[in-house]
Order: sequence, then C-alpha cells, then structure tokens
Amino acid sequence: MKKTAKKFAILSSLLLVSAALAASPTDTLVIQSSSDVPTMDPGVTYDTASSALVDNMYETLITYDGASLTKLVPLLATKWTPSNGGKTYTFDLRKGVKFHSGATMTCADAEYSFERNLVTNSGASGNWFIAEALTGTQSNAADDKTVTWAKIDKSVQCNAAGQLVFTLPAVDPAFLAKLAYTGQAIVEKAYSTKIGEWDGTEKTWKDWIGKDLTDSELSKKPNGTGPYKLVRADANNHLFQAFDGYWGKKPSIKNVIQQKVPELAARQQALLRGDADIIDGGGRSVDEAQVKGKPGVTWVDDLPNTTATAIFMNEKISGANNALLGSGKLDGKGIPSNFFSDVNVRRGFSYAFNYQGYIKDVQNGKGMQRTMLMPDIFPGYDSKVKTYTFDAAKATDYFKRAWGGQLWKNGFVLTANYRASAPASQTAMEILKKNIESINPKFRVNIQAKQWSEMLADSKKGQEAMILIGWAPDYADADNFMYTFYASDGYYSPRANWKDASVDKWLKQARSTINAAERNRLYSLVGNRAYEQAPYILVPAPVNYTFFSSRVSGAPLTKAGFNPMTSLYWKELSKK
Amino acid sequence: MLNFTIRRLIQIPLVMIALSIIVIGLTQLLTPEQRAAPYIRSEQQAARLEQIITERGLRDPFPVQYGRWFSNILKGDLGYSKASNKDVLATIQERLPNTIELALVTAIPILLLSVWLGTLSALHKDKLIDQILRVVVVFGYSLPTFVLGIVLLAVFYAYLGWLPGAGQLDILNQFAVGDLKRYTGMMTVDAALNGRWDIAWDALQHMILPAVTLMIVLSANLVKVMRNSMLEVLTSDYVRTARAKGLSSRVVNSKHARRNALLPIITLGGFLVINLLAGSVITETIFAYPGIGQWFVQAALQLDIAGVLGFTLLSALLVVVMSTVVDILYGVIDPRVRFH
Repeated sequence: MKKTAKKFAILSSLLLVSAALAASPTDTLVIQSSSDVPTMDPGVTYDTASSALVDNMYETLITYDGASLTKLVPLLATKWTPSNGGKTYTFDLRKGVKFHSGATMTCADAEYSFERNLVTNSGASGNWFIAEALTGTQSNAADDKTVTWAKIDKSVQCNAAGQLVFTLPAVDPAFLAKLAYTGQAIVEKAYSTKIGEWDGTEKTWKDWIGKDLTDSELSKKPNGTGPYKLVRADANNHLFQAFDGYWGKKPSIKNVIQQKVPELAARQQALLRGDADIIDGGGRSVDEAQVKGKPGVTWVDDLPNTTATAIFMNEKISGANNALLGSGKLDGKGIPSNFFSDVNVRRGFSYAFNYQGYIKDVQNGKGMQRTMLMPDIFPGYDSKVKTYTFDAAKATDYFKRAWGGQLWKNGFVLTANYRASAPASQTAMEILKKNIESINPKFRVNIQAKQWSEMLADSKKGQEAMILIGWAPDYADADNFMYTFYASDGYYSPRANWKDASVDKWLKQARSTINAAERNRLYSLVGNRAYEQAPYILVPAPVNYTFFSSRVSGAPLTKAGFNPMTSLYWKELSKK
Repeated sequence: MLNFTIRRLIQIPLVMIALSIIVIGLTQLLTPEQRAAPYIRSEQQAARLEQIITERGLRDPFPVQYGRWFSNILKGDLGYSKASNKDVLATIQERLPNTIELALVTAIPILLLSVWLGTLSALHKDKLIDQILRVVVVFGYSLPTFVLGIVLLAVFYAYLGWLPGAGQLDILNQFAVGDLKRYTGMMTVDAALNGRWDIAWDALQHMILPAVTLMIVLSANLVKVMRNSMLEVLTSDYVRTARAKGLSSRVVNSKHARRNALLPIITLGGFLVINLLAGSVITETIFAYPGIGQWFVQAALQLDIAGVLGFTLLSALLVVVMSTVVDILYGVIDPRVRFH
C-alpha cells in the first residue's frame, strides 16, 4: 500500500509539473458565455446568443454603417432603389459571393430566404415584423387567411436583370432597418433543400407554414456567406474558422471558439489568465468589483443602452374576483378595477418613484432617466420632453385630487406583483411601496413575487394591476418602441389599457411616412402627451459597458465604434 | 442466485414506470404557463405562450399527458430537451460517456485512497495520524462541492497555473478533436485509440480538478466507514487467533482483517457510482465539463421537463442496476451470504 501511495504521489507531481499553461493563441479568439445557443438557423434567430454566431456566419442585404443607427450600407446588396412612393425597393446583389458550401449566391437564394421567412414565420422567430412589411400582417398563413402563396410570392421576386424586388402593400419607413436584422440573412436554396429544408415551391409551402426552425437541419449544418464558417459544434463548444472564399476583407483572426462556461468564477479566471478573450459578466456591481482595473483587461464604459423599461399602471384590471383588487372598491380595503384610469393617480405614482435613488442603489450610479420609452440614441427621441422627478409634495397634491378626493380620504390597498428572482424589479417596486405608503398612512401597496411566465400570461389578459417590463429593439426605428408601448393596439396595450386617440393617430401617421423630420415631430408629440397622461412610470435605463482581454482590439470594442444593434463582428477584431 | 437476479431485473421497468409517474405528476403542480415558459426566449415571444400550451397539450388531463409521453417512450422518443437543443436520447448519448469517463477516473482513486486511509487510521487508532485523518474526513465531508471546486480552480488554475481551467480540452485540441474517429465517446480512450496521445493527456489533465473535487467530497465517508469496519474486525476473535498463531502483523492486517473489513466498502462502493452522478451535477457545471450533470443543471434551471425526466430515469436505472450488482457481489465475496 505504501508503494502504491508513493506511485500515486509521483504521478500527481508529474501531472502538475507538466501542465504548464499558455495563454490562448493569437490567431484564435476565445469567447466564454454562460448561455446556450438555441439555434443557428437565421430564419428563427431571435435571441442574443444565437445572433452572436449567426451574424458572423451569415450576411444580410444591408447593415448598419459602423456605430450609426440611421445610416445603412450595402452588404450582400450593392445598392437599392426605392420607387412607387416607397412601396417598391429594387436591390442590386453583389456578384461573386460564395456560400461556405462553395456555391455562388444568386438572386434566387435571396428570394428563397425571404419567402422561407414569410412561410415559416413562427412565434419563435422574429419574422413578424418583416411579414408585416411584406404581407401587411404580422401573422403567418395559418393564423391569417389573407396570407396566400400569391401574396408571399409577389412580395419578393427576382426580375429579369437578376435584381431582387420587394413590393410592399403599404409604405414602411422602417423597412430598410428591418432588412438589416439578423433573421433576414441570405441562405442557399439548393443546399437547404438538399439537407431537408423547404424546397421553396408552391407545392409544399403549406407543409412549412409556421414551422419552428429552431432545431432545423440548417441549424445543425449552417451555410452562409459570412466571414466565418462553422467547423464543429459539441455540447459546450462552437468552433469557427475564417472562410477562405469570403468576398470581403479577410479577417485577422483565423479561429474563433465559443465555449459555454456556466460558472462565472471560471469565466473570470479564464479571462484574467489570458485563456479567454471575451466573457459574459455577472452584472455591473460584480464586474466592477472583480474584473475592472485588473491587469490585461480593457473596460469600456458609458455605452448606449437600447432597452426601455417601464412600470405599467393597468387602467382596466380584468379577471373575475381578481385578488389584487382586494374589496374591489375605493373603501380603504382595495381598489376598483379602473383605479389607474384617473390621471391623478398615475401622476401621483409617477412623482412617488425615486428615480435618482434607483440609479444610485440599483444601477451603481450608472443609469439615465429617459423622457420617452425608447432608446435615447434612436432617431425620434426627444430629450426636451419633460420627466417626472421624485417629489412627495406633488404626489400628495395629485393623490388629493384623485377620485374626487375619495382616494385621499378613504385610502387604498393595492397588490402588485414583481418578477420572482429579479432583484432590480423587486427593488423598484419596494421603492414605490415605501414612498407611497409614507405619503398617507391609509395608502398600502402590497408587493409579492410571482413567476415570470405567469406574470406574462396574466398581464396579457389584463389581470396584473402593475407590471415592470422592458422591450429590446428588433430594428433601429422608433416605431418598434413607440407603437409597442403607446398605441392602443400595440403589443403592450393589454397590459396597460391606456388609449389616447391623438396618440393613436400620430403613431399611425409616423409609420406611414418616410419623411424623417415629420416622423420625429410626431414622436415628440407622443412623448409630450405621454408625459401629461403618465400611462407608465419610466424606469431609468442602465448605462451599458463591456470588458475584454486587452490582447483583443477592434472598432466594435470601442465607444466610438460600438453598435448596440449588431452582434460583435469578429472580422473587425485583431489579437496580439 | 439466478432467481434473485431475474427478480431484480424485472423490478427495473416497474421502478422506472413508478418513477416516471411521480416525476410527470410533480410537473403538474406547475401551471401550463410555467411549463410553456422554457420555450419563450424573449419578451416578444410571450405572445406565443397560449399557442405553445395548445400545441403541446399542456392543459390535457394528467393521464392523457402521461399516456402521450409513455407512447413516445415506446417508440424510442424520450422527448426534446430545450436545455441541450437536442433529443434527450441524443443528449445522453453525447454526454454520458464524458460523465462515465470522469467517474472512472475518480472512482478508482477514491476506493484505493479510502481503503488505505481508513486502514491507516484504524491501525493507528487515537494516535496523531488518526486524529489528523479524522479531522480531514470531517472537513471533506462537510465541504460543499461548489465551494471546493471553485477554491481548487482558483488555487491550481488561476493562482498557481499548474492545471488547466474549465472545459474538456485546450483550445488547439478543441479544433484537432474534430478529426478523431469516435469509438466510445470518452475523450481519453478515443484519443488514445486514434494515436493522439497528446489529446488524451490533455483531456486527462482537464479531469484532474473535477476528479479531485469529487474525490475529496466522496472519499470522506468511505474513509470513515473503512476505519470503523477495520476497528471492529481488529477486535474479533479470529484476528486474535491469527495473531496468537504467530502470524506477522502485516499478514494479519492485510489478509485477515482488511479483507473482511472491506464488506461495507463494497456496498458503499456500489453506491459510489450514484454519488458520482449526483456529484457531477455541480462539479461539471463549475468546470464546464460536458457531461450529463451539467446538462441536468441547465434542464432544471430552464424547467426543461423532458431533460429533467431523462436524467431522473437514467439515475434511477443506475441505482437499480448498481444495487443489484452490489447484492450479487456480496454473495460472491462473502460465502456466508447466499441467495435462494
């Protein structure tokens, strides 16, 4: 036994000594992330983790020019010409572009890609907005019988000159921005058909309506025109190599490996040792404490944030015997279902939220109070619109006016849910509760945690009194936010039930003109009206940041070159 | 013995069915919305929640849902795991060999170490070495795996740089491994069979920290049991007789005492496989090791019911099989034990 132990000790020493480690090679970019990659099929890509890979393997017709959100430049197209009052777009396609399979891209591939997106258009994908532009409805043919093969076929066609022609049913000022979305990347028709995807014909299109492509054959065997091609994927790794046949400038970094490392400490240690170049962080407070300022790490702060978050105040709380309403009356033991329909209540709540306190406590001082529910870097954002501040006196004033003075006299008990295991949501609701209850001892706000899936479902049915929820952009256009939040038929409308005829009119006008100045004016009107009517409490937006190994550099990793609408393009990076 | 074995084999499917009813029944405590939630990847997709519930029949009565799952099982379809974005069966096929490989690398040293240290401790009862080992055992027994794993990673990878960090292979070998012909799914074995000793060595090095983590945590109990068993045997009559016959201490301890003291270790050793599987859940997550433990954590966090069920059934299968093996081995090793 003693001999065995001795051998064991010697073997252990040998292993330790021989395991001298070296930092990752200069021609290989190592990315460690915490999340899974749900799909590599652009037709269904609708999440950050998938986009990060798809954007480097596939290409769209057009893309954003560097950090600009308003200037779009050709990628697989070389130019485009709008006509017919903005209802027709003709695209010249780049010649000599090769797919990873070796085939040359043709107009038929581009036509097939868009038709495939319109036919499949499942809830899992982001195709609803390109469908809205090309077929006039967000739905697929199964859910909306006006969507026919003829309509899909006519919306995108190749002409005799080999140009791709889009025919829109109505003007869509956001159409070009929608084309820059990852999901509208071009796939190869022949290859896709060969591996078992839709064959692109009228004969079979019905079999593919609404089909979820998450686990498609194309997801398993991707084939794009992008600068990197997939070499191999296993349980925890996706390996890529620079594509030799790429039409553009050859990437400086030859290999890219994206590893799934769920444990934050393991990712941090890999970054600090030089084994990983880019990692998923653990949130600002953690990253500032454990990574910022460490040798070999570059920290870039004050980057734009493109999400918008609000606390909704539901003006028509539905659900028979909804427990959130308490007595269902304004008798000091509950609230009526239309509690928030009085603008004075909404204003009182808006003045009761401590915006600066939230920025200081939750966002480590790195937050920004916006004037409208849209990113402040988007065209159409008006910084001159007034904002609410934490002001107990003003809140008191409005609460005294609410419900003809009954609110102040009788008090209320409101029960609001917040997303379980979401500290930021919990803190926001706690701030609101504390401040409102301190205004009048008869005011009580009960807050309770609830599973997010249930909150989403219940709020969609109008059954949540309040909900803190955000929106991330699909494309860089104000409409994607403004219509979603403020239109009475917008996506979030059932959660707030706020309806303003003027706002509806302005929003519809803004989405039917391509005059940028006019659109900005209309959005400004909406912003001002929303300030007056206070349908939402605007939660301050966190300031974005990023960090990475100092061995890596490139425009997208600088403040000047960072574009929040695109993934990190590896082709623009270099490593030393 | 044959009857006993057949009876135990018949129990396996019955246990599996009972377990699947319990697990699927437990999922019914979640609302259909909660069970549909894993299929939602963004706020925008929340609109699809009801559609998902309908498509997957999540509002159907429990017997209908269970019947659907069971009929799929009979067709060899264990369902689709959202956590791995693959079929459950394919996921198990891909990941189980990695976990088995890690378990093998860990189990043998655990057993050798436990027997050695337990014997050492018993032979030096109440002396310094016994006291030290007892403290070490308590320490190892009470250490949470995730704490120990992170500490080892911080010390041996981040601070000293002696051992590789998270993952199964170094970066360059990740690219090279695509050319390997896979036979067993176990990286070291397949690499060796392909003549790529460098990759096998690299994979082995990557297993050291997760294996040591499991060893420290899991061997503590075995050392304790071995010590107690050895102490009991050392005071038995036949050991005294052996000593009285003039046999050397070495012969008495190793041939007479230790062999009999090994019996409880065999029982626990059988369940070591189960403990290794349980330990792999946390260890594989910390070390980004691509085994089924890591998959299970993701499946549980994402409410991936097909994934959780797949892992649970696999664990149950292993428990039943291992307990059967242990019972049979008992009979082989201890002539006093007989099965009829």
